[in-house]
Amino acid sequence: MKLQRMRIEQLRQFRKPFVLDNLQPGLNLIHGPNESGKSTLVRAIRAAFFERYRSTAVDDLRPWGDSAAAPTIELDFEHDNRAWRLTKSFLQRKRCDLVVGTDTYSEDDAEEKLAELLGYQYPKRGASKAEHWGIPGLLWVEQGTGQDIEQAIEHAGDHLKSALNSMVGEVASSGGDDLIETVRSQRDTLLTGTGKPRGDYQKLEKDRAQYELEIEELKERVHKYQEQVDRLGKLAQEYDQAEAERPWEDAQRQLEEARARYQQVERLEQQQNQEKATLSQLQQNHRLLQQNKEHLEGLSRQLEGRKAELDRAERDLATAEAQTPTIAGRLQEARTAYEQAEKQRKLAGLLQTRQRLEQDVRRLEQQKQVLTQNLAKAKEYHQQLEQARQQARENRIDAELVKKLRATGNQLNEETIRSRTIATRLSWQLDAGASLTLNDESLTGQGEQQLLEESTLVIPGVGTLGITPGGEELASTRRKLKALEEDLEEELKTLGVKSLQQAEDRLSAFESAGRAVKHADELFKSLAPAGLEQLASDHKEADGELEKAKKQLEATPKPDPKENVPALEEAEAAFTRAGTALDKAESDERAHQSSLAALKQARDNAKTEWQRLADEEKSPERQQQLRQITTDLAHIEKQQAELQASLERREREIREARPEFLRQDIERYQNAVNQLRQTQENRGRELRDIKVRLEAWGAEGLEEQLNEKEAEYDQCNRRYQELHRRAQALDLLLNLLTEKRQALTRRLQAPLQKHLNHYLSVLFPEASLEVDEQLRPGTFSRGSELGQITELSFGAREQMGLISRLAYADLLREAGRPTLVILDDTLVHSDSDRLEDMKRILFDAASRHQILLFTCHPEKWQDLGVAPVDIQASKEQGV
Amino acid sequence: MPKFLHTADWQMGRAFTRFETEDGAALVEARFEAIETLARLANEHHCDAVLVAGDVFDAQTVSDRTIRRVFNATKGFTGPWIMLPGNHDAALAESVWTRAQRLGAVPENVHLALQPGVIDLEPQGLSILCAPLTQRHTYGDLTEPFGGYETPEGFLRIGLAHGSVQGLLPDEIDSTNPIAPERAKASSLDYLALGDWHGTKQIDERTWYSGTPEPERFRNNEAGNALIVDVSGPGATPTVTQLPTGRYQWHQFRETLAVHSDLEQLLERLNALPESAVVDLRLDGSVTLAGEETLLKALSVAEARFRSLRCERSGLQLAPTDEDIAALKADGYVGEVVESLRERQEGAQDDVARDALAILAGLLREREQEVGQ
Repeated sequence: MKLQRMRIEQLRQFRKPFVLDNLQPGLNLIHGPNESGKSTLVRAIRAAFFERYRSTAVDDLRPWGDSAAAPTIELDFEHDNRAWRLTKSFLQRKRCDLVVGTDTYSEDDAEEKLAELLGYQYPKRGASKAEHWGIPGLLWVEQGTGQDIEQAIEHAGDHLKSALNSMVGEVASSGGDDLIETVRSQRDTLLTGTGKPRGDYQKLEKDRAQYELEIEELKERVHKYQEQVDRLGKLAQEYDQAEAERPWEDAQRQLEEARARYQQVERLEQQQNQEKATLSQLQQNHRLLQQNKEHLEGLSRQLEGRKAELDRAERDLATAEAQTPTIAGRLQEARTAYEQAEKQRKLAGLLQTRQRLEQDVRRLEQQKQVLTQNLAKAKEYHQQLEQARQQARENRIDAELVKKLRATGNQLNEETIRSRTIATRLSWQLDAGASLTLNDESLTGQGEQQLLEESTLVIPGVGTLGITPGGEELASTRRKLKALEEDLEEELKTLGVKSLQQAEDRLSAFESAGRAVKHADELFKSLAPAGLEQLASDHKEADGELEKAKKQLEATPKPDPKENVPALEEAEAAFTRAGTALDKAESDERAHQSSLAALKQARDNAKTEWQRLADEEKSPERQQQLRQITTDLAHIEKQQAELQASLERREREIREARPEFLRQDIERYQNAVNQLRQTQENRGRELRDIKVRLEAWGAEGLEEQLNEKEAEYDQCNRRYQELHRRAQALDLLLNLLTEKRQALTRRLQAPLQKHLNHYLSVLFPEASLEVDEQLRPGTFSRGSELGQITELSFGAREQMGLISRLAYADLLREAGRPTLVILDDTLVHSDSDRLEDMKRILFDAASRHQILLFTCHPEKWQDLGVAPVDIQASKEQGV
Repeated sequence: MPKFLHTADWQMGRAFTRFETEDGAALVEARFEAIETLARLANEHHCDAVLVAGDVFDAQTVSDRTIRRVFNATKGFTGPWIMLPGNHDAALAESVWTRAQRLGAVPENVHLALQPGVIDLEPQGLSILCAPLTQRHTYGDLTEPFGGYETPEGFLRIGLAHGSVQGLLPDEIDSTNPIAPERAKASSLDYLALGDWHGTKQIDERTWYSGTPEPERFRNNEAGNALIVDVSGPGATPTVTQLPTGRYQWHQFRETLAVHSDLEQLLERLNALPESAVVDLRLDGSVTLAGEETLLKALSVAEARFRSLRCERSGLQLAPTDEDIAALKADGYVGEVVESLRERQEGAQDDVARDALAILAGLLREREQEVGQ
């Protein structure tokens, strides 16, 4: 299809006729600035095809403010080697004329012819929208929609498939699509889109359920009816049986019998009670008489009692009196024993005093003896002391002086000895009777003498020999001797002694006397510390005491040594015991006496009482009374015995009749009668109820209804099953047809893919774009990139959209369909490199299809290799 | 020379499922007519009485109208009718019989044997020994007491019972309500009139099932008769005459179609049936599309001709021949669909595929006819 000429008039800003002429079979670049009418031209071409000439929805075509306008479009094109001229006027003059070669079509025929040629459809009413545009919608790209390929393909769908039928040859079915539509419409009368029943089918399904429900209800009611019938049968049988047997009458009879028996028992009980009352009276009477009798008889008994008491009192008294001697004897014994014990105790005391006194005497004697001895010794010691003191007084000498004397004597001795060594020694041995006189001293026997001084020895008979000791020291010695002899002499004189020896002796005697004094003094003092006088006094006192003790002892009587006198303690204890025994015996005796007195009193009282009663008992009135009472009692007792026998008899009778069971029987039979009657009445009532109910239900003819309902259900179900099967069959058929149809569509994929790849290789040498089952470009891959076309950039999507449309154009052309590509200001988002590639693609496509490219950027398309058509210029030219 | 008519199993009040409403109504109506027929026959054959051996009614709770109509239909014969309760209309405490009595629908000449015992028809010299069912099911032989029943001197002893004679009927018959096979002999009966078995059947020379007077099922068992029983005197062997009473004949064909001649034979048999037929066809096997077209046409004709025709074809496969498909001009993918459906139908015995194929063939045929015009 090649558009050759286009003329418009009274259309938007083209109030005057505008002609676009000399359109080339290949690429046509039509440009003009904004508002120049570029878009109006595109709109005009679309309106010429898509809008119904009689449409009222095309006001946008009207020039502004011109209500009388009749927008007119005239298109000349060539297709299938025939010249086509379309003239279409809107609004004020609604017309459509189509001349194809020599054929003329007008109005709707013309429009249908065009729609069939290009593959689109008209709206039922209003303006044409994208979904009506079919194949042109795919090939005629409006400004800014080049990338929206998917929608366009979907709208073109059916037209595309029918347009491409020839390409798939034998797999397409003549009228197959109509068949699908028929099947679909038939299916859709039975099923919804999702396969749910609808229409009659749905109604039948509901009816069927309703019938089922009704049948179920009827069955239930029939069942109930049958139950009631069964109940009725059972009840009627029971009722009749009960009516025949009349069990309540038996019960009634039994009840009456039981009542009669019970009344009998009640009568017996009444009698029993009466007799019991009589018996009770008799007993009362008997008790009173008995009391009287007892009272009367009581006198004799009392008398007996009193007698017994009296006897007892006397007996007691006698017993007590019999005890008297014993008790008195015991008292006597106790007294004797007491006195004896007392005597013994006294004796024992006396003896003890004597013994003490004897001991005192002995002790005092001893004491006196000691004192006597001590006194004697003390006197002796005192004498010794006086003597020693005398001695000391006589020999008193100064011990110091003696010591000095002794020293002097020793010196003298030493000097003398020394002098003797130097002195002349005279030894002698004289014949018996011969004597010599030396210095006036006679010498006899044998001896020796030292001579220091001139000495004269007179030898009797011979004459006087003068001796003079010689040596030089003799003189000093003799002087010393002389001094010493003088000292000694002096000292001796002082001391009053004649020699040292004497001095020594005197000192010794003095010292010895001193010791004797001391010793005697100590001894003395040990015996008479308080002095001799005291000692003597003591002695005298002791002597006095002794005398006194002896006197006492003598005054104390001396016990009879024959008597066995116990020890004092023993005697004391025995005495105490005897005392106690005596106390007891005395108290016993006193108690006995008082008891005796009491018993006597009791005996006297008893005797008095007895006497009184004995008098009373013997009175004649009492005897009379007693006799009367005894008679009465006997009478009453007889009556009582009779009554009791009668009572027992009747009691047994009553007991044997079991009144408590009789009462229960009455209750039981009464209940039974009531219950049996009640049951029967209930039965009767229920029977009537059920009969009424069954009559009502029976009149409904339930089972017949059920039968009929089941028949209706059966019909309904049959019809339902038919429709069900039909629906399933149609569904299956539709699915199968659709499936097969889709399989066919898939066979178109390959050629489309081929054309797409042709263009894609120019744009992206390494890329691929897959066509899906709906013949839409889908998965795009470039190197490692993989994604949907919708994920690409706007520019890329626009480019992809365009090459897809061109591929479709190629496919349509192969199928012998008209192709006209109209691009309105497309590819504005492409960069210069990509635009360059697209220009190559467009140029290539233009070798197969006529392409109208409208733009307001002619400079971008300068290198397209075609002469641009300037709308503005053409407008002016036209004017 | 007493003579009586023996019938049973009227099953009044039964509704017929599996029929079109109109047909069902006609079949119900025919059962009322059958009673009138019985009355007419009783008159024609000068019968002394009509004995109905149970199941007069199909259910206890039938409508009042049905009850009244049943008794109205007996009016043609004014002699005594003895009606025995059977298992469907047992003489329960409340039953269709008590309702009929309450409604006042029972004519004086109709005796209801609601209790076991003897009904003496003095003028006719007949003693009817009745064994009514008084419960829905009985497991004892209700005819057992017959032997003990005294009957007047010179009267015929006719037993009337409803149940299964033991050991003679097929097993499928309900084994409840048993009847001893030697009952007639054992109880010195001149004749034992039985009901329950819907076909006419002789048990021995004195014991018969009359069967139902109007057939109501397809089972072919000699239904649709009444018996005229003629007994010359006590102890004499009865003469039993079987008279047809049924209006409609019920036929059931189960056919397997394999080749075209099978179909032709079936259609011939169908054509041979009288118009009063009630027909049930069950077809299986397979048929070509052309064959099916023929069949459908024939069935359409038969439907109009017979009282009722029902045809179950779900077991019958469609086997389109190449000629069939060529004739349908099922080209392209539609041809593929036909093939696919045929395969499914044969492979999986798929009813849906069969139906789908039939629909598709129908649509294509229509299209061809349109094109042809």
